[in-house]
Amino acid sequence: MKLTEIHVGDKVRITDLETVNRLVRRRLIDLGIMEGTTIQIKKTLPFGGPYTIEACGQRIAIRKKEAEHIMVEAA
Amino acid sequence: MQIALAGNPNTGKSSLFNILTGSYEYVGNWTGVTIEKKVGLLKNKQGYLIDLPGIYSVNPLSKDEGVTANFLLHESFSSILNVVDASQLERNLNLTIQLLEFGKPMVIGLNMIDVAKQQGITIDVDKLGQLLGAPVTPVVARTGQGVDGLLGRMLGKEEREIFPFKIDYGQPVEEGIEALIRKLPEGLQANKRWLAIQLFEGNEVVMNYLGQSIEKSWLAELFQKTEQAAARETGIKLLPQVIRQRRSEVIAGILEQSVTRTKEQELTFSDRIDRIVTNTFLGIPIFMVFMYLTFQLTFDWLGTPLSDLLDGFIGGTLTDWLTSFLDMVNATSFVRALVLDGIVAGVGGVLVFTPQIFILFLIISFIEDSGYMARIATVMDKLMERIGLNGKAFIPLVIGFGCNVPGVMAARSIERPNERLLTILLTPLMSCSARLPVYILFGGAFFAGRQGIITFSLYMMSIVVALLVAKLFSSTILKQEGGSMFVVELPPYRVPQWQTLARSTWEKGKGFLKKAGTFIFGGSVLIWLLSYSGPGGFDVPMDDSFLAMIGGVIAPLFHPIGFGTWQAGASLITGFAAKEVVVSTMAIIYSVSEDGLGALLSGHFTALQAYSFMAFILLYIPCLATVGVIKKETGSARWTWFSMGYAFVLAYIISLIIYQGGKLVGLG
Repeated sequence: MKLTEIHVGDKVRITDLETVNRLVRRRLIDLGIMEGTTIQIKKTLPFGGPYTIEACGQRIAIRKKEAEHIMVEAA
Repeated sequence: MQIALAGNPNTGKSSLFNILTGSYEYVGNWTGVTIEKKVGLLKNKQGYLIDLPGIYSVNPLSKDEGVTANFLLHESFSSILNVVDASQLERNLNLTIQLLEFGKPMVIGLNMIDVAKQQGITIDVDKLGQLLGAPVTPVVARTGQGVDGLLGRMLGKEEREIFPFKIDYGQPVEEGIEALIRKLPEGLQANKRWLAIQLFEGNEVVMNYLGQSIEKSWLAELFQKTEQAAARETGIKLLPQVIRQRRSEVIAGILEQSVTRTKEQELTFSDRIDRIVTNTFLGIPIFMVFMYLTFQLTFDWLGTPLSDLLDGFIGGTLTDWLTSFLDMVNATSFVRALVLDGIVAGVGGVLVFTPQIFILFLIISFIEDSGYMARIATVMDKLMERIGLNGKAFIPLVIGFGCNVPGVMAARSIERPNERLLTILLTPLMSCSARLPVYILFGGAFFAGRQGIITFSLYMMSIVVALLVAKLFSSTILKQEGGSMFVVELPPYRVPQWQTLARSTWEKGKGFLKKAGTFIFGGSVLIWLLSYSGPGGFDVPMDDSFLAMIGGVIAPLFHPIGFGTWQAGASLITGFAAKEVVVSTMAIIYSVSEDGLGALLSGHFTALQAYSFMAFILLYIPCLATVGVIKKETGSARWTWFSMGYAFVLAYIISLIIYQGGKLVGLG
């Protein structure tokens, strides 16, 4: 399922990053966020604003439309 | 001895640089604050420290990040000091390993051990050093604890064996590395294995570097072959990810042997603050209130009273003292007029705004250092996306409120080229602190008691105009192909330290004082001379001066927008050197002190004309220093001219609307 389909606070594992924008994927990988990484949504902003995610003990904000391309499964 | 300082953003790298070199440096909490290469002499004078921009990976995504790869490839240095955030080891070690693979001697400064301890992370420092093959020294950069030991190790006072760190990336990748090493010519400065690994990670700087000695098609073919072979073996399609994955496994192994976690992370201090300031509904209003309070503090509550004190001193005590000194030395009337009407009126008229400017810079430093800046970027992203930018572009704009020059430079941290160019073009629209003296002067003269709100309205105008211009440009001449990108790290909140705040406020504000001593001093003398002399000789009536003639030529152009006088025209010309010179020009032209100027102006402008004039000053042209940095950052004369031309047209239209519109509704 998509990252945007899970609830705030649920822990999930990334299964696929392939359709994420190339540059965004690069930066996520730099930050150690890749397939197999456990992440959770900390917060979302209104009107389709950015998602704050937590992974590897760090907090990162990404756009909702990128989050939609991150495929995850229950951890 | 040259030592390169490298590390992730927000690891306290800049603080460490300051402590090690004892020099002042710009310290911030925002990714990309360290935007220029800075070199400092080490405290014991035994070597130089080169500060590299904060990066997550040697493989760059933006211009800013390319600095490190280029540095490693082209410049000579003897060792690397890598700053590592102990509370974020996993991520930090990716860069550490990339640097270790480069093969130069390296020393690791393990910063923020206090934060790590709070989070229940205990690190076996010696074990970590052994596993990495580089000495690790725990430090607390914010207090200076452990820095002396680090300095000793950097200068190699301890004997140690250097063995290059090597990861086995699996057979397919290793074969690719071998193939490239065989192909590479002799005599390259950089480590060959490192070049190969970086190529496979997709590092474009390295790719171009290799392309100078090897055919690009051969490199592309090698990349593809290796990627396919690695995909068959690992099941991961992309080669950079194969490498990162393998590195992560190695890092996990290292951490398992050297780090113990004693407690699970709970709701942190940052979480609690974030609940409020990035709240779904309150986020943007809180930011607005924060900005409003900033302006109230800067102007009404603290800045203006202090400024009045300073003005009293310059206009009273100092002038009296200078007058009696000039009497004592029997100065000629020319010298007397030069000093009192030229220099004191001009430079003094600008210096009195020092309190407001320093307070504003103090608040901007606080936003940077506390970690709030990244939240502002997040909260603003949706709005910025609508106008074709991303939340990160908001940061240069906020910095631009202090001064447009560092604002334009801060745009370097934006990854996409057209978004960066657009941000550079927008930053001069931000109402920098140099424009403040104009608002304070006119606000005080025409809108007494409502100064805060009038000034606030001009700041809001600069934001709204910038948003509209951004929308226009991003959908016409500056379309970003492939869309914009937004990934931002939200660092934990920190309570900024007084020393750091003071230092970074001083760093930003001293430019203003320097300008007062150079540009404004020179400008004041020149303007005074032009106003003192005319076709009829020296000491002519002001209306017959050269300045009146020059101002008079362009004055008709400004008639439709409410200020077609030669005085306004002349001050607009001189205002190009620096916006605050507008005030000194007026002080000289009307030959009064800053105090009397306000009262005198109300005879020459109506409130509506004054507001139109303020709006025009806000927008009409980037100052000389900003034009210089725009040229440097864009590398294009065309865009530099464009930045000046469009601003002028825009300012004219807005002032026309204000003045003619105002007259229509009966304000004039």
